[in-house]
Amino acid sequence: MTEYEAVIGLETHIQLNTTTKIFCSCKADSWFDPPNTNVCPVCCGLPGVLPVLNKRVVEKAVLLANAMHSEIRPLSFFDRKNYFYPDLPKGYQISQFDQSLGKGGYLDLPIPAAASPDKMPYTRRVSIWKLHIEEDAGKTKNVGNCRFIDFNRCGVPLVEMVTGPDLRTADEAGQYLIRLRQLLRWLGISEADMEKAHLRCDANVSIRVKGETILNPKTEIKNVNSIDAVRDAIAKEVERQIREVEAGHRIEAWTLEWDEDTGTLKKMRSKETEADYRYFREPDLLPIRLTDEWRDAILRDFPELPLVRRSRFVEQYGLPEYDADILTSERKLSDYYETSVREYGSDPKKVSNWLMNDVLRMINEQSLNPEEMKLTPKALAEIIKLVDAGTINITTGKSLLEKVQATGKAPSQIVIDEGLAKVSDDGAIRVVCEQVLAESPNEVAAYKGGKVGLIGWFVGSVMKKMQGKADASKAKAILEELLK
Amino acid sequence: MELCDLSALEMTKLLREKKTSAVEILQSCLQRIGRVDGRPGALDQVVTDDDKQKVHSFITLTDDLALEQARAVDADLAAGKDPGPLAGVPFTVKDIFCVKNTPSTAASRILANFTAPYTATPVERMQKAGAVMIGKVNLDEFTYGSSTESSAFQPSTRNPWDTSRVPGGSSGGSTASVAAGEAPLSLGTDTAGSIRQPAAFCGVVGVKPTYGRVSRYGLIAFASSLDCPGPVARTVSDAAAMLQVIAGADEHDSTATVLPVADYMSGLEKGVKGMRIGLSPDYFRITFPDLKTGEFHQQPLPKEIEEAVRRAAQVLASLGAEIVEDVPMPNTRFGIPAYFVVSRVEAASNLHRYDGVKYGLRTHKQYTDLKQMYKISRNEGFGLQPKLRILMGMYVSAAQYSEQYYQRALRVRTMIRRDFEEAFDPQGKYRLDALLTPTTPTTAFAMDAVYGDSVLMQYADQLTVPANHAGVPGISLPGGLDGTNLPIGIQLLGADYTEDKLFRIGRAYEQATSDEAWRKVLPGVLR
Repeated sequence: MTEYEAVIGLETHIQLNTTTKIFCSCKADSWFDPPNTNVCPVCCGLPGVLPVLNKRVVEKAVLLANAMHSEIRPLSFFDRKNYFYPDLPKGYQISQFDQSLGKGGYLDLPIPAAASPDKMPYTRRVSIWKLHIEEDAGKTKNVGNCRFIDFNRCGVPLVEMVTGPDLRTADEAGQYLIRLRQLLRWLGISEADMEKAHLRCDANVSIRVKGETILNPKTEIKNVNSIDAVRDAIAKEVERQIREVEAGHRIEAWTLEWDEDTGTLKKMRSKETEADYRYFREPDLLPIRLTDEWRDAILRDFPELPLVRRSRFVEQYGLPEYDADILTSERKLSDYYETSVREYGSDPKKVSNWLMNDVLRMINEQSLNPEEMKLTPKALAEIIKLVDAGTINITTGKSLLEKVQATGKAPSQIVIDEGLAKVSDDGAIRVVCEQVLAESPNEVAAYKGGKVGLIGWFVGSVMKKMQGKADASKAKAILEELLK
Repeated sequence: MELCDLSALEMTKLLREKKTSAVEILQSCLQRIGRVDGRPGALDQVVTDDDKQKVHSFITLTDDLALEQARAVDADLAAGKDPGPLAGVPFTVKDIFCVKNTPSTAASRILANFTAPYTATPVERMQKAGAVMIGKVNLDEFTYGSSTESSAFQPSTRNPWDTSRVPGGSSGGSTASVAAGEAPLSLGTDTAGSIRQPAAFCGVVGVKPTYGRVSRYGLIAFASSLDCPGPVARTVSDAAAMLQVIAGADEHDSTATVLPVADYMSGLEKGVKGMRIGLSPDYFRITFPDLKTGEFHQQPLPKEIEEAVRRAAQVLASLGAEIVEDVPMPNTRFGIPAYFVVSRVEAASNLHRYDGVKYGLRTHKQYTDLKQMYKISRNEGFGLQPKLRILMGMYVSAAQYSEQYYQRALRVRTMIRRDFEEAFDPQGKYRLDALLTPTTPTTAFAMDAVYGDSVLMQYADQLTVPANHAGVPGISLPGGLDGTNLPIGIQLLGADYTEDKLFRIGRAYEQATSDEAWRKVLPGVLR
């Protein structure tokens, strides 16, 4: 049987999270606003208006280009992409064509075992073919015979980024989007929420006999608005193409639409010829001159990127890949982890355990921002140290996490205020142990009758009476002695 | 001589001396309009013989608003407040600029119902300076023409010197309103000569500033890389005072330069001693292609026009300027073909927004789908000129032709720019302060004589368009009258941002010729 491989390229549109639009001072994000409320003569394309570039857009795009290893052009140009559509108020979109901000680039995409066909992790290098700035168009809603147009989205800043045909499986496409989303949030340049269309993706899919290098006619899948949907749609389309080819049919260059509800692909249109957008230089804007000073200022605080940090965590801290992956899922969390390790001073894996088991749950349950938590890395380190020193037991330590987060007090202060320090005094524990045994004649009899497993229950009762402060191992030893 | 015939600077002076009021000045202008202008342009009108005796500068007269503004100026003056450098000076605005709550039609049916929700920067600056807008004046549809005849609002403007002749264009309403004494100042636009050519035809001063010197915000775009708003006035000093007000950086237009605006007024009277003023043989002939063979033919200019320029050169020489002959400007002849391509590509794109969706005309006819709605609306709304320009613009920017036409035209543009750079290079062979040329190859032609021949009409801009390609400033000055008492325009072209020098030369020439007989001749409608 012939073995096929998929050839996949992704076209992404990334909504930058600037406060205002790209060419006017209207608010950029309108997700919660009624239609046509964030509009002005400029973004509605009234006669006589002119665009004025929002510098923050360039800065955010430069961050992305740098992260994608793109060559950043010191001089790039805006061009008009001309076409008619009711939600494109000027009849052209201001975009970048042949001299865009970013040139080339790549992303080394780690494919985890779970997403690998042979369950072995590997790395896929995805090349970047296009990286440019442009304005968004509006939104059209068809209701019966009517078209409703919302211009709120006109002029929202986008980066269009297109990969080469380098992805080979639907899972790889999914991984690309997961890593891209992580990167965009890491850089703080987009909310990257696919459900809110901050990150939009069209997929170009073709197949070929494995081992061949030719590119066969491709189909374009549009309107996919979640990572799962992208994966599903591509998988379905690859299956379909294989079926067609096996049946001796040709693949035609269709545009397909993903139907989220039914999980099926529908043909939108056949693509006969490429549209002619009659690109020419936008005469209303100056070229973007990215001086060395400006570029350096933008990149001065360029962060360590998530995949780099992930590898470093494995090497430097000896963390398992699993820990490193979770701890670098988000930039603030990974910063939190590193600060905690520094504050604690040793055993990064122990810090990771505390973070991944307890702190992360707290963060998720209460939707906390690691950067703004009252449970600072310093407090976390202090709690672990208190446990290490035997001042408190581990249960008290874990309950302290919540208390510090709730009150903002120093852990040691809470220990003093609430008398949480572990009781290691034999005499005090012995008194309580005697009391427990006196109150539980039945259990004592059972124990003496051979049910030695009850020792745990006795220890628990002692701990309960002492509000968990007793040194559990001491209590056990005393109980065993008394029960002899 | 009536109040409305004074210069803008004389008007404000009288006003400040309390010898008149802004309302009086306004009323004098409105009276003049009543006497010579006839009915304003409107859609679907038949031009009568009566109409042919009048000027028809206006599309919309904003006399109520003007009266309000004039009263405010008078109130400010009475209260001892400074109402601004152009306080109480009436001005007209080419109806290609958006003015808040005012119809802004571009002289096109497609925008006939459009009322702008904001005001163009140059208009706003005029109003802030105390000037009083009295109305929006006629033009070629979307500025596409050189005679104002292509306006969808008829009767279109006629030349105040001889109403059987065109006022030129596309700022024909602007130059006619100033020539006829309806207002001392007007705001026009110049994309290939649209201020200077009608200024020459109407015997007034017209300035095309350096590209980027005046904000384009609110100017309904024709060819965005060439469009320049600029002043129309009866004297050089008035034009300088107006440019002083409208020039400068604008947060709404990133192509408006942030370079500081020169003080145009202080150097105005300094004379031309030691200035180097060039004459170029390439501006004393016109070159045009044979439409069948594509070969270029050359033809000398009418004698009267060349003589007017040479006379002006002598006057300037007698004032101490050094005249530099034979300055080569070899790429002048490619100005029109290159312009044909560049301007059409930008125009077609700029017209995409008029689609019947958001504003302007949407057809009342039945349509079955969106595409048909676009087609019928645009077919009904656009006149011949926009349609021709869309066709040509779409053709030469198509992927398969762009390199051959559009990209090539851009390279020609660079060559034209180089001609100017060499002529004005302070270290170069010519070291010119200005180039003195005729403004137009002819004086005002008869109504209907050229209209309909789009190519020939375009050649009216042959001597003005190079400055638009190059971005350099130019000014057209009245330079005499021809044998039929029609004004002849002479043009001064300078290096980037040397408007101050052009004003200075223009002012020196104006003063030196102030007693000449032709200066006393009035436009026909005022005789």
